[in-house]
Amino acid sequence: MKKWLLGTLAAAALVSSAPILAQDDTTLPDFIQHTACEVDLTGSEIPIQHFGDISGSYAFITQPLLAGLTDAAAYYNARGGVCGATLVQENRDTGGDLGQTQAAYDYFSGLENEPDLLVLYASGDAELLRDQLAEDEIPALLSAGSVSGLYGEDGQSPGWIYASNPLYADQFGSFCRYIGANAEQFPEPVVGYISWPGAFGESAFTAEVMSYCAEQGVTILETPEYFPPSATDITTNVQNLVDAGANILYTNSLASGPFLVAKTMVDLGLEDSVQLAGVNWALDTSVGLLSRTALGSDGLPAVNGIIGSLPFHWWSETSLPGIALISEQAAANERPLSAKNIAYLLGWALVDTYIELYARAVNEVGSLDAVDGAVMKDVIEAMDYSPLGLYHFNYDGGALRALPDNRIAVMMFANADMSGVATSGEDAMAVPLADGTTAYVPVLVPLSEFEPAPDLRPGGADVPAS
Amino acid sequence: MLYSAYGREGTYKYLNHFSYAFSLSKGRGEGFFLTTITTVYHNNRRIITYAIYAIGLIALLLLIVPLLGSQRPYRLVQSTVTGVLVGGVYALIALGIVVINKASGVFNFAQGWMMLLGGLVFYTFFSSASSISPLAALVLSILTGLMVITTNSWRALRNPRSLAIAAGIAAFGFIALMIGGDSLKLLRAIIGAVYGAVLTGLTIERFAIRPLIGQPLFAMVLMTLAISELLHGITQMIWGSVEIPLQVFTGLSQLGIPMPFRIQATETLGGTIIIRTELLLAFLLSLLAFAAFVGFFRYTSVGLAMRATAENQKLAQSVGLRVRTILAVAWAIAALLAAVAGVLQGGASSLSLNMPLLALSAFPAVLLGGLESIPGALLGGLIIGLVQEFANLLFPGTQAGTELAPYLVLMVVLVIRPDGLFGQRRIERI
Repeated sequence: MKKWLLGTLAAAALVSSAPILAQDDTTLPDFIQHTACEVDLTGSEIPIQHFGDISGSYAFITQPLLAGLTDAAAYYNARGGVCGATLVQENRDTGGDLGQTQAAYDYFSGLENEPDLLVLYASGDAELLRDQLAEDEIPALLSAGSVSGLYGEDGQSPGWIYASNPLYADQFGSFCRYIGANAEQFPEPVVGYISWPGAFGESAFTAEVMSYCAEQGVTILETPEYFPPSATDITTNVQNLVDAGANILYTNSLASGPFLVAKTMVDLGLEDSVQLAGVNWALDTSVGLLSRTALGSDGLPAVNGIIGSLPFHWWSETSLPGIALISEQAAANERPLSAKNIAYLLGWALVDTYIELYARAVNEVGSLDAVDGAVMKDVIEAMDYSPLGLYHFNYDGGALRALPDNRIAVMMFANADMSGVATSGEDAMAVPLADGTTAYVPVLVPLSEFEPAPDLRPGGADVPAS
Repeated sequence: MLYSAYGREGTYKYLNHFSYAFSLSKGRGEGFFLTTITTVYHNNRRIITYAIYAIGLIALLLLIVPLLGSQRPYRLVQSTVTGVLVGGVYALIALGIVVINKASGVFNFAQGWMMLLGGLVFYTFFSSASSISPLAALVLSILTGLMVITTNSWRALRNPRSLAIAAGIAAFGFIALMIGGDSLKLLRAIIGAVYGAVLTGLTIERFAIRPLIGQPLFAMVLMTLAISELLHGITQMIWGSVEIPLQVFTGLSQLGIPMPFRIQATETLGGTIIIRTELLLAFLLSLLAFAAFVGFFRYTSVGLAMRATAENQKLAQSVGLRVRTILAVAWAIAALLAAVAGVLQGGASSLSLNMPLLALSAFPAVLLGGLESIPGALLGGLIIGLVQEFANLLFPGTQAGTELAPYLVLMVVLVIRPDGLFGQRRIERI
């Protein structure tokens, strides 16, 4: 019943463009409550400086993030900005090349006005810059979560980078906990790990996760499979895992990664016998849209039914005023369906977070010029805030570097009359796109409530004693 | 290093001299031993090298054979099928690289980006007619017509007959690209892709390669690297950084063609074999292109002229061959092959900025088969495809298939046959 209800809300949110919130163009709605400004910053500019892969493998995620940042900055600037200061964006494309990441960092850190705060997108970038950021005392907000990038190789050395989602290893553990708790649905679960190679793709496959999952009654196959983002065919990789006994495939990839795994499962006729699962990015709108070229035997996109982490509130939850506002603004800015994904939501949350952080920092030190990286770090660690209600920003006084709250959700597709989720391709909502193709509307249905993901860093609180 | 500095004989003399000097400093016994080793190696260099590789290969076989034996038969068959089909995609990419190399001696590092560009142009005209910009179609048609007639010289612009041909090409293109209706979108997309590829190939040759005729080959190779970055920027500016699923194969399922083919062999092989239709199509197209190009280079005057141009551009020009035209044709053909590969790969997965990385897998195929060999490109592609799949099968979780095995095979082949399996052996005097 709950699934159907949420599905209905999701469908409504994705297609509706009607204004939801009555408000004027100069003030913020009541539910957005930033810290009152004690200093007037009118005439100043606060840069949102960010760099990452916006033209390579991650572009499907990062382009909507930029769209979200742009729309949100314009929205807030029109309503007073940060205590009167205007938010401006400055971004650099690294194309996924670590050499370019270093060059971008050198550029920003070498500016006359050294950044108070940076925004990063990728685990590999975080791992590369972890020590440099600490040395230069520049905190960074991140949309990723590898252990070594945030806590160092030993898992116990928090750096200057703060992730907005649980660690990928913790997300995998969270998934195991869910599977273990639903043994009637997933009897004798054996998980095969299949992902992209690299810092992001490999980050969830750790010894700590394996032992935690074993404790939950979930077996993780010892041999993972990795395939490059440019792979043409991964039949052998999938068959290796299934032959080794996997009845669940877990992927720590995004965009075409989960899609290719799902397509291969359909080709091999494994849809009904093997469950597909993944990291929070695997449940993104982009995956659902890409999957329109590969339909399962039920006529729905191959990724229908994929389970994974959903550590944020989603487009479907329009009862939340923050989601309603973002939906309205996305429609007003004529953002296409492909932009209405996780990253667009994060872009809005990030800008809202910036405003709160700077308001608190300026109040604390008395002027914008006096704000530096060290001040900002203190503010980040002391802050307990919910940007637009999307997630809970609380790093536990500096003890944490990744927000722990998580829940498990399933991706489904809206039905034709938007009253729930489709059971087959025949009753699915088919949306004609500008390029002449037809898309199905992905809907994320939460399967559990928010709760802290297990702490599976090396030496983490939830790592079973060996 | 030594070899280039002293030549073959000089190198051995240098080594002997070194060992002699060593013997003076260390005493006669050790020096004599070293001298003996050097002399034995000198006299049996080739045999020793082959023996080392043979031992390595035997060791590898001893490792692999039991692993092969432990596999279920259907897995072996499936890996063979997948390897051959994926190899077909590599072969198509390799073929484009070989065509350019055969005509100009240049290794084209931009082939991957030409693939993506070709796929994106196809996608643009495969979309609904209402979303096609008449201005873009007109510009594409006119530019293609102008580039075709001026292949040999810009003076063609002063020739009314040539201008009439250009107008014909442009008019046909524009009308074809503005055809309405979904039923003809495949035809529209094919024509758009052909025009786009020809324009891309001719433009690259005219403005980037032609000015370098007669210059060191290295300059041209570097130019192809610059072109790849330029194409990266162009594709991003026009189409953005999104990932586009190309629904070119959905029509096949509507025609009743299985997607994929499934061969039930549970009783005989212990499982089901799947053949992905889009990859099968790529493989068949590779075979077709292979046959066409073998004939083209062997039996047509343009093909023979291309081979002559690759040998020596200045000499070819001096005997009256139109080097410019020949190079232009080669680049246009390579761009067409890239577009075909781009469309097939886009249909098999998606059109994304990851696609050019696929060309990296085709590079060992080209070197393996031989830089100037059409059959070599096909065979190289198939070998690399098979090696990747079997490495994935036998060494799961190691990434041996993508990161190690193809390059190991390439290394072994190059040691035994430095010009590749079918490459032309060249002897250059130092």
